[in-house]
Amino acid sequence: MSYTELQVTTNFSFLRGASHPEELVAQAQALGYREIAITDRNTFAGLVRGHTAARKAGMRIIPGCRLDLLDGPSLLAYPTDQAAYARLSNLLTTGNLRAEKGQCHLYKEDVYKYARGMKLIVIPPPALTPAFDLEPAFAGELKAYREALGTELYLAASRYYQGYDAKRLHRLACLSARLDIPLVATNDVHYHDPARRELQDVLTCIREKCTIHNAGFRLHANAERYLKPAGEMLRLFRQYPDAIRRTQEIAAACRFSLDMLQYVYPEEITSQGRSPQEELAALTWEGARRQFGDVIPEKTRAAIRYELAFIEQMNYAAYFLTVHDIVRFAREQNILCQGRGSAANSTVCYCLGITSVNPEKFDLLFERFLSSARNEPPDIDVDFEHERREEVIQYIYNKYGRDRAAIVATVTQQHHKGATRDVGKAMGLSADMINLLSSAIWRSEEGFDEKRIIEQGLNPHDPHLKKTLQLTEQFLGFPRQLGQHTGGFVITQGKLSDLCPILNARMEDRTCIEWNKDDIDALGFLKIDVLALGMLTCIRKAFDLAKAHHGKDLTLANIPQDDPAVYEMVSRADTIGVFQIESRAQQAMLPRLRPKCFYDLVIEVAIVRPGPIQGDMVHPYLRRRNNLEPVEYPSPELEKILHRTLGVPLFQEQAMKIAIVAAGFTPAEADELRRSMATFKARGMVAQFERKLISGMMANGYSEDFAHRIFKQLEGFGSYGFPESHAVSFALLVYVSSWLKCYYPDVFAAALLNSQPMGFYQPAQLVGDARKHGVEVRPVDVNHSLWDNRLEEGTGRLCALRLGFRQVKGLQEEDMQVLVAARASGYTGIQALRDAGVPHTALEKLADADAFRSLGLDRRQALWEVSALHDRPVALFAGQPSETATEKGIALPEMTASEHVVQDYAATSLSLRAHPVSFIREKLSLLHIVPASHLETLHDGTPVKVAGLVLMRQKPGTASGICFITIEDETGCANLVVFGKLFEQYRKDILQSRLLMVEGQLQREGEVIHVIVKRCHNLSGLLRQLTAPGMGKPPAGAVEVVQQEIFARSRNFR
Amino acid sequence: MAQRFVTIWLYQLVTDWLTIRRPDLQHQPFVLTAPDRGRMVITAASTTAQAQGICAGMVLADARAIMPALQVFNDRPGLEEELLRALAKWCIRYTPFAAIDPPAGLILDASGCAHLWGGEGPYLEAIITRLQAFGYQVRAAMAGTIGAAWAVSRFGGRHCIINSGKEQEALLPLPPAALRLEPGIVERLQKLGLGRVSSFIAMPRSALRRRFGQELLLRLDQALGREEETIQPLEPVLPFQERLPCLEPILTATGIEIALKRLLEALCHRLRQEGKGLRSAVLKAFRVDGQVAQITIGTNSASHNVDHLFRLFGHKIATIEPALGIELFLLEAPKVEALSTQQETLWTGGCGLESARLSELMDRLANRLGPDCIHRYLPQEHYWPERSVRPAAALHEKHAAAWRSDVLRPVRLLPVPERITVAAPIPDYPPMLFRYRNQVHQVRRADGPERIEREWWLEAGPHRDYYVVEDEAGRRYWIFRSGHYDGSQPHWFLHGFFA
Repeated sequence: MSYTELQVTTNFSFLRGASHPEELVAQAQALGYREIAITDRNTFAGLVRGHTAARKAGMRIIPGCRLDLLDGPSLLAYPTDQAAYARLSNLLTTGNLRAEKGQCHLYKEDVYKYARGMKLIVIPPPALTPAFDLEPAFAGELKAYREALGTELYLAASRYYQGYDAKRLHRLACLSARLDIPLVATNDVHYHDPARRELQDVLTCIREKCTIHNAGFRLHANAERYLKPAGEMLRLFRQYPDAIRRTQEIAAACRFSLDMLQYVYPEEITSQGRSPQEELAALTWEGARRQFGDVIPEKTRAAIRYELAFIEQMNYAAYFLTVHDIVRFAREQNILCQGRGSAANSTVCYCLGITSVNPEKFDLLFERFLSSARNEPPDIDVDFEHERREEVIQYIYNKYGRDRAAIVATVTQQHHKGATRDVGKAMGLSADMINLLSSAIWRSEEGFDEKRIIEQGLNPHDPHLKKTLQLTEQFLGFPRQLGQHTGGFVITQGKLSDLCPILNARMEDRTCIEWNKDDIDALGFLKIDVLALGMLTCIRKAFDLAKAHHGKDLTLANIPQDDPAVYEMVSRADTIGVFQIESRAQQAMLPRLRPKCFYDLVIEVAIVRPGPIQGDMVHPYLRRRNNLEPVEYPSPELEKILHRTLGVPLFQEQAMKIAIVAAGFTPAEADELRRSMATFKARGMVAQFERKLISGMMANGYSEDFAHRIFKQLEGFGSYGFPESHAVSFALLVYVSSWLKCYYPDVFAAALLNSQPMGFYQPAQLVGDARKHGVEVRPVDVNHSLWDNRLEEGTGRLCALRLGFRQVKGLQEEDMQVLVAARASGYTGIQALRDAGVPHTALEKLADADAFRSLGLDRRQALWEVSALHDRPVALFAGQPSETATEKGIALPEMTASEHVVQDYAATSLSLRAHPVSFIREKLSLLHIVPASHLETLHDGTPVKVAGLVLMRQKPGTASGICFITIEDETGCANLVVFGKLFEQYRKDILQSRLLMVEGQLQREGEVIHVIVKRCHNLSGLLRQLTAPGMGKPPAGAVEVVQQEIFARSRNFR
Repeated sequence: MAQRFVTIWLYQLVTDWLTIRRPDLQHQPFVLTAPDRGRMVITAASTTAQAQGICAGMVLADARAIMPALQVFNDRPGLEEELLRALAKWCIRYTPFAAIDPPAGLILDASGCAHLWGGEGPYLEAIITRLQAFGYQVRAAMAGTIGAAWAVSRFGGRHCIINSGKEQEALLPLPPAALRLEPGIVERLQKLGLGRVSSFIAMPRSALRRRFGQELLLRLDQALGREEETIQPLEPVLPFQERLPCLEPILTATGIEIALKRLLEALCHRLRQEGKGLRSAVLKAFRVDGQVAQITIGTNSASHNVDHLFRLFGHKIATIEPALGIELFLLEAPKVEALSTQQETLWTGGCGLESARLSELMDRLANRLGPDCIHRYLPQEHYWPERSVRPAAALHEKHAAAWRSDVLRPVRLLPVPERITVAAPIPDYPPMLFRYRNQVHQVRRADGPERIEREWWLEAGPHRDYYVVEDEAGRRYWIFRSGHYDGSQPHWFLHGFFA
């Protein structure tokens, strides 16, 4: 006689199960089980992972679910066939959609409605009453179940070693006989191994928000809920052999497997009764004629025919059509979008308008997609404007219906910090201790190391601490909650809820499924990524402005290509605001790389990434590009892969292909390798792959050094993968934004400011940059500004940029719309604004921003008047001039220019008058501090002193402990480099300064100028004097006049 | 007589206090923190930490980024006020009217006090010196109005004395924040460039009122003495203590009894009025020969019942040796708890834990037989039997958890399980017979096993399988096997007896 475990709780029953589905499957295999069930609480989330593991192990998972009802005892449900599975999935969907995210509200009636074709097991209450009987109500409930559910109903019998097991089993047996509901043995498995009890206890504590010390009876008394060997189960139930036999009966009846699920594409994407393939072909040729004119080049024709044939062979036509449909909708709504991914860079996609990158230039890009030996679904991500993506999402929901389209889930895993925090809390550690542990010790990815613990003054041999760390490590990688994927959609022909339960997402109007992208990959579902990209919003706004003010009708596709002026600008690293290449590291790279053509931009996008940097690929590439080193290839087969990047692997595809070609990996293995790098869970696997890759490559005659570099790079790609196919799509946006900046800096600046927050730079820098490019910028004014920044008639070719109310801190858009709506021919007095309904606080903010200049008031006079607006003639005296007009003897102190600038920064984070540093230049000169622009004239190695406002501090993980700082004075920016040791020494000054002065040495590398810092000083005190010249210091210990954080806090690392 | 006020500003109150208690923290950067909207926010920073740019209001994580070596202590709400109260109480030696002025301030009404110290200068000096000697950093000022003294102590020079009538002069160069204004008003004044009191004090009152409201004018008037301002002085707390001096030395037990009765009546009267009851009392008898004899009682629950307390003292009176006579009795109640006066009930009765008669009986027993003779146990939420009960600390202590009713537990649980030898079939069947204290018990009935694992966060070790067994005489025992049944000979223990 054999036994099948039918009640298994995995860690997808969050904070209950203490083992991964994979672990349970592995343990079951080791114990000789042929099949086990997975029954998580009101969810299918762990099924696919268990199923995949079981498939590999040659076992079978009986899909099931524990239904926790709001009005009755819980039930275990197992579908016997696909129809029943669909019903169970729909049942869960019903419960999910009723409740908030993370909950599932089910009632008995629902179960009765959907129960056909399912085997059901009732779970009796675990404890007996003081009279050693089951709760009397339970018998009643059970009877009702029996009447409604008939002979498919069973009664679970478990032995928990509670001391009264025999009595309980006897009572259950009596009840079973009386109501004719057969007993079935289960062990209520919560973990695969008894040792996991400790973690399970901690999970209980986290769930119940208590500590292990006061959890009390909320914990289980013993560790019996592990997966027991069949023999032991037979022994425990020797008096009830029938209960064991029933497990076989149920297992035999439930033949449904997840492999039976069939994914079917939606149909409404075709027209005129054509098949998807015919429809795709027709649309493609139509698009080709639109793109290339009536005479399509032969090369393109061949490519289209080739790709269409491949798509037909793989049966992917429907997928392309679905993407096309979404893109078409976005076009119609004038929402900018751009596809990326391996399949997106095909000629077909270009013809369909999914991408604007002309594939003629890249004959190789379709290759990865083509060569995928496995039945891997094609990969197209579509980026939309971030402000309008929701429209696209709602279009998908509306077109296909919420029962057919849903977002894929993202399983949030426990990461170091959260795991340490949760386990530490449950173990009763103090908040300080937890902070120490989570911040200091877990900094490295590998786990905690003893040295760090000792450094923190903790004793690694303290048993409680040791236990905490050990449990934390076990807890790492546990699923914690189901979030929604950033935009992955699954759309089906039939009801999606037949395949997988649907649940409400945290965001309004979003629904998702319970499975994540790996799960749906494993089952062969296709997903479409609908992503948001801020730069697209900016570009669309720029296109709109260009049309309105310059009469240019621009699209992503019709921007003039390969314009040397644009590349010239990019090579100068004049790229503030440009997509992707505006960061400090990118700006440092641009003059070295000097991009000349589109493909150079592709490389530029991909090269400044952890992968190539960690793999030490950047410098070899630069040397070869600048002809300092001959271009050679380790072998002819690698030349094919690497010739476009001069023999240096820079892209993810290349690294993977090397693994295949040079180290003898199968494509599937290469992909698995990349995935295992991405999840820190499989640490052991990585080492195994490393051995395999290096020995494989050395066997094929490559140097060990090269092999190590390839592996290093793969490691980098794992977490921050950047494939060529994505880089190409991004490069197009890089080019477009550069072009706009080059030819229409006015339009570009306005669009950027209106899309904030975005990118690396503060509005002050963006405005400064625009002015440098000859754009006249005008201040915020109640009579001229709109909410958004706008363009006004300028003096030259370019328009003038009028700052909008959105730049003023603390203003509400609705209030400003009121202001604009009532403006008519312009305001002549503050009273009129108040009468128009602009709230008092808003008026005060406007006064702070000095927006009343057109009324002849400076900010101080305006504020003086605004503050008195409360007190105005009412009722009988309404309409009389207010007292303000007759007040005498009041003279407000004049503001100095520097005070104005400080107030400008306080209100709008920028000033059009002057740079704050310019006011203290005299003092700085006395200290022999040079302006930033002066650095260009100095030689390499000159000792210098510079000072400026700190714009950003960066401490990239790839640059061991080095801190990069950018400071700005009235003449420009200076780039500082602080090495690790000095950083520790000057940490305080670096982190606290608004105005930082450094002494150091100039370093020059071509056009790139750095200051290698030797000493740092915090000069923020000088800024304070700008507001109150001559006030002197307040007495020692006295409350300093509260100075707000006027100068925007710089971007900071954490 | 002209009013005079002293305001004291202890600008490092909490950190100074901590440094006094922990001298090793002197010159160390440390902060106190409290949680605020999910983050830890610094509520006070030591002088050394402030020199590094760390100040109150910062988020702890930010401060840590600047200074990884920062030491962190937990602040608790009300700490500052507690400290201020204690200091204000101490200040009563300088004036009968001392008040607290949070944050970090004290106000003393010094009218007519200074001459006792030989003038205002020495007076202020004395206060400052003494506070500094404690280890507090102090700024103080004296003036004819609270407002002026406050302003000068925070924003003026060091330790100023402003003569009455000179307030306006003193205020003129100070910033508007010196007037104790709302931050919003201060900010607006700053923005308008009115950075000194002098820059707006001469403006028409209506112009000021229209823009800054009544508050600015009120504060200004208070500082200048045009508007009365009062303080809420602290009331000193009197200890619960009664004295009874005797005209003639007392020599007899009856005399002591009469004295005790009188003292108890007086003390209980006061307790009743303040809604309190005592938990312990000490009677001290001061003898003519300079010796002190004393007797002590304790109660299980707060009481102000004269008869009951008298009876508790009763049998101890004999232990007081009057010798040559007692000239003074002193009754103190060092431990007092709140006790609501019970309403007189028509039928006194009931025998629950709430019954006063029960607690009085227990007081009598405990006072006679010693406090260790009565035990009461409460259930604890632990599976491990040794930890599943604990002795109750007070009679009225309620148990947090209910007694378990789902499993059988013995009436008597041995504090340490005793070894037994058994004959038991494996794997986990109950024993057939066991030998306890050289007596063999045949097991007739048994139930189990109940498996209880160690509480792994407290200790490591084998689990236990408990059985309830009944021997041939019908006696029932709670026995267990330590550890799993596989492997070598497991040990068996007896852990309790059922009724």
